[in-house]
Amino acid sequence: MNGRVNADIKSLKFIFDKNKPFIVPLAIILISIILFIQFVIPQIGSLLKASQEGKEARLKLEILKDNLSVLKNVNQTTLDFQVKILNLALPPAKDFSGILNAIYLASLKTGANLGSFSFKVGDISKSEDGPSFPTIKVSVPINSGVATVNNFVKTISETVPLSEASLIRIGSISSTVDLYFYYKPLGALNYSQDTRISPLTQKGLTLIKNLSEFGNTSSFAQPSVATSSSQ
Amino acid sequence: MSANINLLLQSDKRSLGLQKKIKILNFVAAICLAGVLLTSLIIFLSIRIVNPESIKKEQEEVLKSISPFQDKQIKLFILNNRIENIYKILATRKDLSIITGSLLEKIPAQLSIDNLEIDGKSVIIAGQSTSLSVIGEFINNLIDMAREKDKIRSLTLNSLILDESRGVYSVSIKGEL
Repeated sequence: MNGRVNADIKSLKFIFDKNKPFIVPLAIILISIILFIQFVIPQIGSLLKASQEGKEARLKLEILKDNLSVLKNVNQTTLDFQVKILNLALPPAKDFSGILNAIYLASLKTGANLGSFSFKVGDISKSEDGPSFPTIKVSVPINSGVATVNNFVKTISETVPLSEASLIRIGSISSTVDLYFYYKPLGALNYSQDTRISPLTQKGLTLIKNLSEFGNTSSFAQPSVATSSSQ
Repeated sequence: MSANINLLLQSDKRSLGLQKKIKILNFVAAICLAGVLLTSLIIFLSIRIVNPESIKKEQEEVLKSISPFQDKQIKLFILNNRIENIYKILATRKDLSIITGSLLEKIPAQLSIDNLEIDGKSVIIAGQSTSLSVIGEFINNLIDMAREKDKIRSLTLNSLILDESRGVYSVSIKGEL
């Protein structure tokens, strides 16, 4: 009566013999459950992972095949011309000679009489890789009339490198135009072989065509295939 | 006698029920084991089927074919980068020459411009004329522009001065763009 169960061998054998037909199937069911938990469930995880990897690999292969097709169809000469035009329009670094050419070209076209001007070089050590566009400011004094100054501003806005006139100050004796010339370092291109290469869109081709008609691009001979990247 | 017969029948019934239970249990056990083995086999085969190794080999072959075009690939990246940035510039930059051009059209020929200062936000025009009606015409023209919100949003007359010694009227106007 102290709560202990007195089970001797005979009693256990009796219980075992009585339940013998149940023990084997129950053991099998238990083993099956253990196998399912230990092996099948992890296998399902592996299957899902393999399926995901397969999906990604197929997608990557598709991208690579598309890239190969695009690259095979791009004409090297046209591509070089397009890169030059776009780099002239938006230089990857401070393009002082390009700026000087643009100013002198605009003054020649409009007959504007330029005074002496200087560049503000800025902090060369400063990183310029950001979402905004770094600029070079040039204040151009012009000793000409109102209409000529305005023509000069209009002409330089259609000349590369791309610029923006931030201030036009026209006086009775002399005038000044503050110009900001844009440039943009390439920065990290996030170049990867499996990144999808987009062929040039019609919008891009139109932009290149328009830019090639801008002033200061005459130093590049336009190839006959300039408006099409697929040759 | 009848009581004994009844007892025997009950024992058979119990035995039959027990055997039936054992059979069901055996069947369930067999199904469980077979199910686990079959599921495991199916998953194993599925993993073999979806294994991306063959695709990866194909990828390597395509990559080998692409490698001679690496220069073109980089240039295309640069090209797309420049186009995107140039579009941003062209979309946001202000063309002051258009505004100045519009203003110059509104300035009467008899009015001489002393000062014209324009930035992205405002414009200041100072001029002089011997005729007050010319000054009036000029102010009216600018008021029309401001009313139609054509380049100018608002207009302030800074000063209108008569220099009696020279007989010249000077006007200075500020407009918000």
